[in-house]
Amino acid sequence: MEQFAPVKRSKDGQPVRYLVVDDSVFARKNLARMIETFGGQLAGEAGDGMTAITEYERTRPDIVLMDITMPQMEGIEAAEKIVQQHPEARIVMVSSVGYQENIVAALQRGARHFVQKPVKPEVLYEVIKYVLGEEGSVANAAGAGV
Amino acid sequence: MSHSYDDRAGELREFFFDTAQELLQQLSDEGLKLEKQPGDAETVRSIRRIVHTLKGDAAACGCRELSELAHEFEDVLAGEGFSAGTSLAEAVFTATDVFAALLKAYRRKSKLPSVEPLRKLVQALAREQKSLPPKRARKKAKTSLPATWSEYEKLAMQQAAQQGRNVYHFTVRLDPHCAMPIAGRQLVLNAMAPLGEVLGTRPETGSTDAARKMEVLFASDQPVGQLATRFHIPTITSEVQQELLLEAAKPSRKEPAKAVETPAMEPLEASAPAVPVPSENILRVDAERIDNVLNLVGELIIGKSMLQQAMNEFSRRFPKDPARARFADAMAFQSRVLSDLQRSVMKVRMVPVEQLFRRFPRLVRDVAKHCDKQVELTLSGQDTDLDKSLLDAITEPLTHLVRNAVSHGIESAAEREKAGKPAHGTIHLKAYHQGNQVVVEVSDDGHGVDVRKVRERALQNQLVSAEEASGMSEADLLSLVFRPGFSTAEEITEISGRGVGLDVVQSVLQRMKGSVELENHPGRGTTFRLKLPLTLAIIKALLFRVEHKLYAIPLNAVAEIARARQSDLHRVDHYEVLQLRDQVLPLIRLGRTAAEDHKIFVLVIHMGERKLGLIVDSLEGEEELVIKALDDQAVATDLISGASILGDGRVVLILHLPALVERFAKARPQEAGAMTSGLLLSHAERHSAGAIPAVGGQA
Repeated sequence: MEQFAPVKRSKDGQPVRYLVVDDSVFARKNLARMIETFGGQLAGEAGDGMTAITEYERTRPDIVLMDITMPQMEGIEAAEKIVQQHPEARIVMVSSVGYQENIVAALQRGARHFVQKPVKPEVLYEVIKYVLGEEGSVANAAGAGV
Repeated sequence: MSHSYDDRAGELREFFFDTAQELLQQLSDEGLKLEKQPGDAETVRSIRRIVHTLKGDAAACGCRELSELAHEFEDVLAGEGFSAGTSLAEAVFTATDVFAALLKAYRRKSKLPSVEPLRKLVQALAREQKSLPPKRARKKAKTSLPATWSEYEKLAMQQAAQQGRNVYHFTVRLDPHCAMPIAGRQLVLNAMAPLGEVLGTRPETGSTDAARKMEVLFASDQPVGQLATRFHIPTITSEVQQELLLEAAKPSRKEPAKAVETPAMEPLEASAPAVPVPSENILRVDAERIDNVLNLVGELIIGKSMLQQAMNEFSRRFPKDPARARFADAMAFQSRVLSDLQRSVMKVRMVPVEQLFRRFPRLVRDVAKHCDKQVELTLSGQDTDLDKSLLDAITEPLTHLVRNAVSHGIESAAEREKAGKPAHGTIHLKAYHQGNQVVVEVSDDGHGVDVRKVRERALQNQLVSAEEASGMSEADLLSLVFRPGFSTAEEITEISGRGVGLDVVQSVLQRMKGSVELENHPGRGTTFRLKLPLTLAIIKALLFRVEHKLYAIPLNAVAEIARARQSDLHRVDHYEVLQLRDQVLPLIRLGRTAAEDHKIFVLVIHMGERKLGLIVDSLEGEEELVIKALDDQAVATDLISGASILGDGRVVLILHLPALVERFAKARPQEAGAMTSGLLLSHAERHSAGAIPAVGGQA
């Protein structure tokens, strides 16, 4: 039973908004559940790279959790395209050890961080805080920022 | 209140099992594709992706064995050069089966099955790959020598210092939990990039060395103290040491090494409630709950007709009352909403028949392989919706029919060519709506059913006597295949046996208030047609009376209603018939034979190819009936499929037409008169009916 202090956006105290991209519905749900425990909000979901790009445009999330292997357009390409349009995009690659080279490629193309599958919530939590940097703040009082 | 990570773990686990089933189905589909196009790179990639997803999901759910096995398989798939493409497809099928068995065991929390068959196949595949020249060396020897910088890098250091920047030497140790050191190193470089210039790294950038220690030459004009902390990345680095090598345009001076330890992660206080997240649009609901709702809708419909009756009475008594119109409006509105509600609830239960169809390509492939036949399966109408419970119920019968079609229907390639047909047979699965029914067809282009053989078999197994057989039409003979005891033990093979005969298919269908028909084209193939009601719960029915008792049949079965007098009926071969226009219609008498000039109604019903007339005494009208199932104890006869309650509280029995027709068809000719008259009479009633002199003197 892990519990996390909610991470909010520094600028307005609102929940951090996430876009979750993975072709496995299960993985998406799993991530969405973790996000919930971080006090975040699921802004959108996508099952492939193409949708990820349009969903990014539509939802403008604070953080994108992006799988590497997906049909149609792989995560690296999607990450690259999003970063080209929006250099401020915070993309965290989510993948298994076998795809390390792809992660390196994604990092070289502007992804901000990576977590390894299976995703451990405490790891993701740290990664999120790091990636948000100054833009995120950890609430320590009940109901802070809501 | 706090949201905990494990709150919905059980639910998520169930969800995993569902999605995993879907993945296995995809895997099997891709396997079939691969078998058709061995070595197709795109398919192999797609298979790898599926296995990869399965691996990840399984790991997240704690299904370690499955995850590991998938991982091994994925590794093999990542390689190249499969000399024998078919063996890979075989491995995919084996993997599908083994994964499925594992999932089943996880779900039931039972003992895990052996995974050796797959492991062996995977190892064999891996060996096959190793025997081929390796594409590139996997890993270089580990090097963790202290960094020695090249001449070029040393020059870059000098230049940076002259340009007024400090040159640092960072030693970064990666977190031992970070399983991806190469990516980790990249991330460290990414973190450094905005603050200065990376002059050189050990291991070199782009190296696939898995070293956990990284050394970086870094030039920056940032203040000394901050850098090391900024390069610390949670979950990636465990220690960052910083050393100033060259100070900007000043004589070189050594800065004491500064170590930044990763602070131990403090358990964070979680007191604030998490914000509710709108996550899934799909609900998993226990089918029973939906049945409950549907049941209540049924009760509402009964309530509606109660109200309607009260309303009719009110209108009769106070035809001029102004409240009447208001009542009528309200009722019209209510009934519209009610039918919308009914439709919506029904829709919830509907699933596309594709869910069932998609398992067949693999089945056909396996059976065909086993029988050494070439069979192609085509599907159509996969998007036809069907009640989930019906879908589940016909799974077994349909599987049986498809198996049968492959093993018995389709001939061997040689036979087919002799008959002038293409070497590979075709089996077509098709689903469509027809009126209030859903029809699922299994057709093959094999040799069809040999009616003479059916007769021989029936005689052999003493289903009919030689005398009866000679009097039977072709359709009657064909229907014998559905009789219990028709299929013999000798033909129970591994494939089509399993002890399920066509009689079981029929009984399942009848239990579902459906029917099965056989269309036979000798030499060209057979079609089995399963007809199912759209739903089990509510039907539009025609109400009629026999012997003053109220009965109903589904309205869609009624082709027309004819009026006749008893004297219009004739008798042919012990059957009562009615000449209806230019056709002779066999009749089923449900009640007693009436007097000569008595007016009767004949309900002309369609049962497959057959047309039959039901003799009834009077008509009562049509009504929407909510079927209440009757348990087997309550009704001794299979002629009644259920009962319903009308608005005024009367009970109506719903006739099960397929059973009725079957009873009629089975009746031996010499008994036909007795059997077909008074089917709905009780024993005592029938006895007394016999005392009344009937037309033709049959008793």
